[in-house]
Amino acid sequence: MKEQILELLRQHSDKYMSGEELCKRFAVSRTAIWKHIKDLQEDGYQIEGVRNRGYRLLAVPDLVTGSEIRNGLQTRRFGQYVVDLKNTGSTNVIAAKLADEGEPEGTLVIADQQTGGKGRRGRAWYSPGGTGIWMSLILRPELPMAQAPQLTLVAAVAVSLALTEIVGQKAGIKWPNDILFEDRKVCGILTEMNMESEEINSVIVGIGVNVNQELHDFPLELQDRATSLRMVTGQRLQRAAAAQRILEQFEVLYDLFLREGGFAPIRELWKRQSVTIGKQVVAQTPRGVIKGIAVDIDEMGALVLRDEQGQVQKIYSADILLAPPV
Amino acid sequence: MFKLNEIRELVRLIDETSVTELNVEAAGTKLIIKKELGVAAPVIVQPAPVQAAPAVQQPVAPVAVPQPSADQPATKEDKQPVDDPTLHQIISPMVGTFYQAPAPDADPYVRVGAKVTDKTVVCIVEAMKLMNEIEADVRGEIVAVLAENGQLVEYGQPLFLVKLD
Repeated sequence: MKEQILELLRQHSDKYMSGEELCKRFAVSRTAIWKHIKDLQEDGYQIEGVRNRGYRLLAVPDLVTGSEIRNGLQTRRFGQYVVDLKNTGSTNVIAAKLADEGEPEGTLVIADQQTGGKGRRGRAWYSPGGTGIWMSLILRPELPMAQAPQLTLVAAVAVSLALTEIVGQKAGIKWPNDILFEDRKVCGILTEMNMESEEINSVIVGIGVNVNQELHDFPLELQDRATSLRMVTGQRLQRAAAAQRILEQFEVLYDLFLREGGFAPIRELWKRQSVTIGKQVVAQTPRGVIKGIAVDIDEMGALVLRDEQGQVQKIYSADILLAPPV
Repeated sequence: MFKLNEIRELVRLIDETSVTELNVEAAGTKLIIKKELGVAAPVIVQPAPVQAAPAVQQPVAPVAVPQPSADQPATKEDKQPVDDPTLHQIISPMVGTFYQAPAPDADPYVRVGAKVTDKTVVCIVEAMKLMNEIEADVRGEIVAVLAENGQLVEYGQPLFLVKLD
């Protein structure tokens, strides 16, 4: 009921909702309404209560709750069902469990804080409370297995376009799907796939975006390579609003990728948003370091690199370091 | 590339069964083991033509196989299933990097001798930062690991041999 009261106050935020009206709607006592209002105020919602007039919503806090994510969200599936958590180990782990239990495509798991945020190959993703978007989306694409890795590039383009729009400055993609502002990482994407008898059962796309951190909020070892939306814009942002833009972009591009255009338009968009192509890069692959120039991504999404001997190599797995400008 | 003990393990396996020929492909190398009546099993190793960068490998036993010509890739041989119905291949569902463990410093998901069930994760194949946890999908015992940690594997490439329960 607390959430329903909030929805009503949202819809009527230009005027006062009388306590009596609320009592009637929910068929409860005035005291019960008052308790929920007090609860909402404790969550950070600024609700004005005026005798003989009623309640009015003045400001919403920076929360990543289902209510805040869904409010005004322009999608059909992505984020329409939200599992919000104050604190969890890893949203990817929770999402994988929910996917296993049969939750549908578009289900979103989002947490205010992650204590075991995951990066690639067992690395940690720093995800303190109240500062970032730590979310995982369940996808169930009907797609040949071989094309599944392209989803990580679809996600990269979606986040890149959303953040470019929010910040008003190009959010560059580093292959395959790190998002950078001025060569510093603002977003990481970790995608995990589950198969069922040789077909895709679910794909969990974990997206971590640094939103309201300041430089000193990052651990020392990250301070020279991490950034946040706040550090770029100089302003605090509502995390839920940024998450909405990402979900909206992602749904549009995902549908384009699966239903109409295939990978070709995604590849073009990826290249346009990329800060990798044409650059001198160092690829740290599991089989050693390859230095060269990133010349393209191929039709599967692999990085095409011309190494120092002039040989063209395709990279499927690597950490890419962009050489500093000379 | 096959390790000597892996080849030895396979030869012993062939020896103990009624299987007369085994073709496996991994690590840019195709391995053919044939058993003829009353003759010691010759082990043949040759580069696989479909691999982007075939590893150069020394044969460990007399070689008696014609080199496939460039315009005649040995696709038919590649697809030939293992005759022994109790030996199951876990194959790679996509092109990517094969990892035996969840992290560089972690223990492998499975080793030779490990018992697996349908849901046992046996490895990860990664491409474009999509991590694909491969499940055994069968019950049995791992008898061979056919790919090396960090190696690029092809679609359909055998990764493990499982002796089914």
